[in-house]
Amino acid sequence: MWFAQALDAGSPALNTAECIEIHGDVDPVLFADALHRTVGEADALRVRITDTADGPRQLPLAVEPPGHGFPLYAADLRDQGDPDATARAWMRADAAEPFDLATGPLFAHGLFRVGDHRWLWYQRVHHAVLDGYGYSLVARRVAEVYSALAAGTDPGPSPFGRLAALVEEDAAYRTSPARDRDRAHWLAGFADRPEAPTLAGRTALPSRAAVRSTAHLAPERTDRLRRLAGSVRATWTDVLFAAQALYLARATRSEEVVLGLPMMGRMGSVALRVPGMVMNVLPLRLTVTADTTFAELTRQVVLGIRAARRHQRYRYEDIRRDLGLLGEGRALVGPLVNVMPFDYGLTFAGARSDAHNIVSGPVDDLTVNIYDRAHGSGLRVDYDGNPALYGQHELTAHQDRFLDLLARIADRDPHLPLGGLALATDAECERVLTEFNDTAVALPPTTLIGPIEARAARTPGATALVSGTEELSYAELNARANRLARHLITLGVRPGALAAVALPRSTDLVVALLAVLKAGGAYLPLDTAHPAARLTAVLDGARPVCVLTDLAGRAALPAPSARGVTAPAVVALDDPALREELAGLLPTDPGRALTPQHPAYVLHTSGSTGTPKGVVVPHSAIDNRLRWMQDRYRLAPGDRVLQKTPTGFDVSVWEFFWPLREGATLVVAGPDDHRDPARLARTVREQGVTAVHFVPSMLQLFLAEPGAAECTGLRHVFSSGEVLPRDTADAFHRLLPGTALHNLYGPTEAAVDVTHHTCEPGETGPVPIGRPVWNTRLYVLDTAGRLCPPGVPGELHLAGAQLATGYLGRPDLTAERFTDDPYGPPGTRMYRTGDLARWREDGSVEYLGRTDRQVKVRGQRVELDGIEAVLASHEHVAAACALVREDRPGDPRLVVYVTPASADAAAEAGEPDPAALRAHVAARLPEAMVPTAVVVLDAFPTGPNGKLHRAALPVPGTAATTAGREPRDAREAALTRLFAEALGLPHVGVDDSFFELGGNSLLAARLVARVREDLGTDLAMGTLFQAATPAAVAERMRAHGTADEAALGTVLPLRPAGTGTPLFALHPAAGLGWCYTALLTHLDPDQPLYGLQARGLRPGDDRPRPYASLDEMAAAYAERVRGVQPHGPYRLLGWSAGGVLAHGVAVLLQEAGEKVELLAMMDAYPADQWRERLGTVEADALAALLETAGCATGDTPLTREAVTTRLGAADSAFGTLPAATLDTVVDTAVRTTALTRGHRHRVFDGDVLFFTAAAPRAETWLTRDAWRPYVTGNLINRDIDCAHADMTRPGPAAEVARAVTAHLGEKS
Amino acid sequence: MALTLDQIRADVADVLGEDPADIPDDENLVDYGLDSVRIMTLVERWRRDHGTEVTFVDLAEQPAIEQWVPLLGART
Repeated sequence: MWFAQALDAGSPALNTAECIEIHGDVDPVLFADALHRTVGEADALRVRITDTADGPRQLPLAVEPPGHGFPLYAADLRDQGDPDATARAWMRADAAEPFDLATGPLFAHGLFRVGDHRWLWYQRVHHAVLDGYGYSLVARRVAEVYSALAAGTDPGPSPFGRLAALVEEDAAYRTSPARDRDRAHWLAGFADRPEAPTLAGRTALPSRAAVRSTAHLAPERTDRLRRLAGSVRATWTDVLFAAQALYLARATRSEEVVLGLPMMGRMGSVALRVPGMVMNVLPLRLTVTADTTFAELTRQVVLGIRAARRHQRYRYEDIRRDLGLLGEGRALVGPLVNVMPFDYGLTFAGARSDAHNIVSGPVDDLTVNIYDRAHGSGLRVDYDGNPALYGQHELTAHQDRFLDLLARIADRDPHLPLGGLALATDAECERVLTEFNDTAVALPPTTLIGPIEARAARTPGATALVSGTEELSYAELNARANRLARHLITLGVRPGALAAVALPRSTDLVVALLAVLKAGGAYLPLDTAHPAARLTAVLDGARPVCVLTDLAGRAALPAPSARGVTAPAVVALDDPALREELAGLLPTDPGRALTPQHPAYVLHTSGSTGTPKGVVVPHSAIDNRLRWMQDRYRLAPGDRVLQKTPTGFDVSVWEFFWPLREGATLVVAGPDDHRDPARLARTVREQGVTAVHFVPSMLQLFLAEPGAAECTGLRHVFSSGEVLPRDTADAFHRLLPGTALHNLYGPTEAAVDVTHHTCEPGETGPVPIGRPVWNTRLYVLDTAGRLCPPGVPGELHLAGAQLATGYLGRPDLTAERFTDDPYGPPGTRMYRTGDLARWREDGSVEYLGRTDRQVKVRGQRVELDGIEAVLASHEHVAAACALVREDRPGDPRLVVYVTPASADAAAEAGEPDPAALRAHVAARLPEAMVPTAVVVLDAFPTGPNGKLHRAALPVPGTAATTAGREPRDAREAALTRLFAEALGLPHVGVDDSFFELGGNSLLAARLVARVREDLGTDLAMGTLFQAATPAAVAERMRAHGTADEAALGTVLPLRPAGTGTPLFALHPAAGLGWCYTALLTHLDPDQPLYGLQARGLRPGDDRPRPYASLDEMAAAYAERVRGVQPHGPYRLLGWSAGGVLAHGVAVLLQEAGEKVELLAMMDAYPADQWRERLGTVEADALAALLETAGCATGDTPLTREAVTTRLGAADSAFGTLPAATLDTVVDTAVRTTALTRGHRHRVFDGDVLFFTAAAPRAETWLTRDAWRPYVTGNLINRDIDCAHADMTRPGPAAEVARAVTAHLGEKS
Repeated sequence: MALTLDQIRADVADVLGEDPADIPDDENLVDYGLDSVRIMTLVERWRRDHGTEVTFVDLAEQPAIEQWVPLLGART
């Protein structure tokens, strides 16, 4: 208690306070006397506690009599409007006053007259000196003394024992063998350091005040509890513990819980007569399963408490320390259940009284205080919660629900299994079952394909599909698909039959899918990039009648396995013979006997044994999904939907078919574009896409893409596949305020998505997965299969129209996951998702994680069990443990740990080789399931209970990189540096593969961004997948001369996102704005930043007519600024010649009537200073250019040719520029320098923020004061400790950025 | 009606949910699960049925049947 107070000296959390209501007359003078006398008898109240060099010491304290400093406040409140309320307010305020332990006194009293015959006596005591039992001793003695004084008799000798006796008893215990036995008892019982589940699911330090919810249990209900207790030979308190354990276990999905058991600690001790702080808290560990009965659970409580009682003197603090929980900040117990049965039927000179607790000390998590004080008036139940963990509403909801559960337990046969009891109240059940699932909508019985054919007939001329430069009308697409469908029918494709489709994203792919559906069949996507073993397993299991592919795909198909399976017919769509044959077939819709119950498609997901399982989805399910989607988001003929998701993932289903049902246009992305945010942004812009889907991790990358902000044509962005972080949603709204963002959720087993939530700006907290779609019911069920009330996590189950038929050829698996729906109409089924979720009060659902070990890596379902099974099947492996590590935040990596099969095997075959094991997995599982690293261990680390101690598994060592050759040129050197940076490695060789070193597509996207930033080169993501080493990437860059449009455009969007006024940074002489990237990290994250660059930098650009004057140049730049931000206030910045330009642009904007709120110049000097210089402009410009590029100027002749060559070899951005661009750069440098020197400055009205490169320089005559004639305001200078050429290096740039941010902050 | 040793043992066994034969006279009843709620139950039961005036503290101070006999017997 002392320590807890010392942690937060000003906290009132250690206060305890109660109020005794006296029904009768009180003489306040006698009462004060009684208080003073009682304090005189109670040693514990006459102490203070100070901190000394030897630790805290308790010292005696003299207490003054009433009227002379005795802490008593008395008031007659009868003239107050509401005397009770006034008194309660005073008490609440007093209870929030901290005590000063060092000075004391550590108690305070209040006495209030609130009626002619009614008084309130209030007392507050620090918990370090008194516990609840101590209160009862003090209160009884006060009543006794007062009654005696009122009767004029002697109160008699003090009934209290001495505090010294208590201390002695404790000291004796501390050195006794009993203490060693107690210690051994607790250590043995908790050696495995069990988790202590809590309703909040997390821990927090105690707050200064608890939040409280109070309820009363009527005597009639209390009697029922007592009867129940009697029937199972226990007390009502045992029943309360058992009920609380049941509630906690169900609400936290835990079979084992640890309740906190406060112990009076006085039985058989002198402490029974000593007011003081003796109570202790002990852990009560209970197992609660669905098949145990309440009687059995209560018996467990009785025995558990009995065992605890024998060892109750060992302190709670000591158990925590002994178990090492202190250091980890881990809790020993969950909620405390504190029963206070002390008899409080006190009388004060004949007046009866009731006691009311006001505050009862610090609350770590949750304390349930139960008072049984006044005879026959039932129980008072206080839920005290830590406000850092529980809100008032939440606390009351738990309390109401617990009391409801208690009532149902009391009315129930205690010998029935607990599984029959739901946590939710009847009203809550009704709410989550009916109100939250009110989704029934009558729909016509149609199929996936029917509405597409109807649409083609209605709008034959509309554009159905765009793929690259190819466009097809609805009529054309329909005719192509019909011809192919007629061919497929001849091969046996019909309702109920499967046709595999193995094609890259293309027009042919769309035609093939439509054709299969038109023939009545179900399509089964096949990725020929998958390992042959997996393809064989899928083909053998599904037995499609044919495979639609192309000539390249045909070659990649595995040979039919030897198990007598008939090889399916192979249809290569680019086979000229086939094309000829199709031309002869009818282009009209074929007939077929298709019903909504027939399968529409079969998608394979990873299984827990490593074998893929095919999910069969019927037409009715996907038709329901698409009809709901159309009703909700209203696609119109002008809309364009981007198809970018691979066919193996269910999102692709709506991408393909939704637009074609609604007369909109399907835009087919390039084959590899789905991993390349830059290309996607470009496609969205160029193709006018209005609806697109991203998995959240890809959405993050897309938003970081400079081009994303320009995708303002988007109406709807859909996100699903993994948790959508709130930050991502916020970033989305900032960047694309006019576009709706929808978070969808659903497993492949329920026709793509079953819940939806549209994110709104300003929402906080986790993004929910939302409400059910049409004709869909969601159930959140606890471990006993009962409905969870709102707020309580459970496993999400799905029912309704969208459920899949089941797993192809796997009735066992189907029966396991699709079970009878106990809450739906007879004969209906529900699907167990394995996802953990909870209802929110508003009827939407929050996703919380998985109930099993399935994880998602970049939106793809990965079964860790499956990976382990495959590795354990390797002859050199004994056991395997797969997990996802996030050693670098935002970079989840799949890692597998293995132990060798046996010492003998290892001796014979050598240690298992990680690379070989990885290959073993890669040959059997799809790419997403192949671990980034395989780590061989002698043995797995285990915890005290013998279980695998996952946290102790080592971080996989970063693979040794190849020694290899030295980088050949500057570009390779720069790339090895960027590779190493992206991978978090100290060094990467030129021939090291990005992916072999632990790279993944997310890191790849980061690398691409860094390459763009540093080298100004737009490296396509796809390039990296084909050329994964620095050398190969450098080679590609050389071959393609890859300067990027954005990086060399006239407006370089360095940070287009952000809500602030943009900052425009004008290029220095060379014309490139890349140098300003270094400002980004230290500018306010909401500060957009644009670089303005010279024209003609792109290799293909025409050479523009040179500007005749700096004024003309500045006017053109001002227009560009206005193109981004039409009106002021403007923020401008420029380095070197860019500073002069910024001044010119600022003057022009002011002359046009605009406000300029920031003009920042980085070491820029006016023309006046240069005009009289000797030497040629060209030589100066070239020398400056070399210096800026970090090249020594000494040995390079200052000719354009020599400088261009030198720059081309530089280890900087210049070294990566295409030759044509480099020419423009040199040219621009010379011209800009010339224009700057010939310029006549006009006057800027306002302050200038100036940055001086403070290192000594040759041009000692340069002075910022030369600007004075051209600036009306102050020249605010900041010295930056660097040379002129180094001002945009990271260190100096950070100082500049911080000063700019501070300056703007001061101004606002 | 005066309390007897057997009645005391029977009542103690009842609140503890045990068989009277398993409750020794000379052992600390705390070890058998005696707690404050159970003591209060006994105090009230004996006051009601036998007119005893022992308090909670009296019983809790020396929680063993042989200690209680004089306390309870002396006042019957």
